[in-house]
Amino acid sequence: MQTVKRLEIIASSAELPKLIEKLDAAGVPGYSIIRDVAGKGQDGRVSTDSDFTSSALSNIYILSFCSEAQAEDVLTRIRPVLTRYGGVCYFSDATKAVV
Amino acid sequence: MDSSLILSNVLTPPVLFFFVGLTAVLVKSDLEIPQPIPKLFSLYLLLSIGFKGGHELHESGLTSEVASALIAAVAVAAIVPVYSYFILRLKLDIYNSAAIAATYGSISAVTFVTASSFLTRIGVDYGGHMVAALALMESPAIIVGLLLVRVFINREKAAAGGEKEAFPWGEVLRESFLNGSVYLLVGSLLVGLITREEGWNSVKPFTGDMFYGVLTFFLLDMGLVAARRLKDLREGGPFLIGFSVLMPIFNALVGIGIASLLEMTPGNALLFSVLCASASYIAVPAAMRMTVPEANPSLYISMALALTFPFNIIIGIPIYYQIIQYFWGLA
Repeated sequence: MQTVKRLEIIASSAELPKLIEKLDAAGVPGYSIIRDVAGKGQDGRVSTDSDFTSSALSNIYILSFCSEAQAEDVLTRIRPVLTRYGGVCYFSDATKAVV
Repeated sequence: MDSSLILSNVLTPPVLFFFVGLTAVLVKSDLEIPQPIPKLFSLYLLLSIGFKGGHELHESGLTSEVASALIAAVAVAAIVPVYSYFILRLKLDIYNSAAIAATYGSISAVTFVTASSFLTRIGVDYGGHMVAALALMESPAIIVGLLLVRVFINREKAAAGGEKEAFPWGEVLRESFLNGSVYLLVGSLLVGLITREEGWNSVKPFTGDMFYGVLTFFLLDMGLVAARRLKDLREGGPFLIGFSVLMPIFNALVGIGIASLLEMTPGNALLFSVLCASASYIAVPAAMRMTVPEANPSLYISMALALTFPFNIIIGIPIYYQIIQYFWGLA
């Protein structure tokens, strides 16, 4: 079984296109996206109930499994993006059990 | 003051359902409306308002009365954020002052339709061109709000010896004119204008007959959302709570003054004053979140949604109409 990095990003919906671009540029093999994410972070509460015509006020959650080198590359690329609107990125170890 | 007008405004399905939603949160009921439904209904309301306005604008044509109302609408939407900004700067930083100022310069489409339902109920006519005024008032406030941020932040940076930031015109214009609510409203207005009477008749069961029911349901959700936002207002303190109620009254009086100068009909004067008095909780918060991320959304959304919106739909509309009746010599 192969050890990989589990990459989790929670960021503003507004930054989704830029984040996807950075993930693609870093060459991660794939990712999953959950939209309309609510909760509480460093900048206060995030809710989906005021998103009447867009998703500008809620967050997105991105999950990706990649190599350590790709994860480091992603971090370097997304750091400036997350700085403007706020957002977090976490790495952890994972084991690829089923291909 | 004729309290029966206020009472008759409160005792209508949309306003009473607003209270039902508000109360549900206060008494901790588990009532919840799944998020896609309010989103669908807000898109429906914008589409219907725009489409109806386009159809009626075609009927009335572009007269000098229509043109003067539209010019006044754009001017008010650009000026309100400027004086609001300086009032807000007494207590807040540049970012939050500009974001809240833009919120109050822009408009609330649902407050507008609540006012038009009020006029229909009391049998007072109004022009379809007021919907065009509504569409035109969304964007200028966003642009002015962002200009205020840029001018005063650059001034602060220059004073501190830092470098000025360039104004991101592309991003600002895109957020002002292409954000979802403005785009849909203007698009529907144009479709209504192009398809005329035949187009209106073909979709009337959807955009016309269902409208009041959807508005009522949407206000149930607005009651829930407004009540959830009430506790955020505490963060703003008495200054912002006072601003959320006094600013709409002041802006409505400005609107009534302009409507009087332009010799608008009482129905148009009410809609114009409501446009001046209302604050945006759809277009501006989305645009501000994208372009002024430094501002706190819980302040500008909560003020517009939890205080100014209920104030206008419950007591603002009948009060503004009574003032208009008095000045127009109808009372």
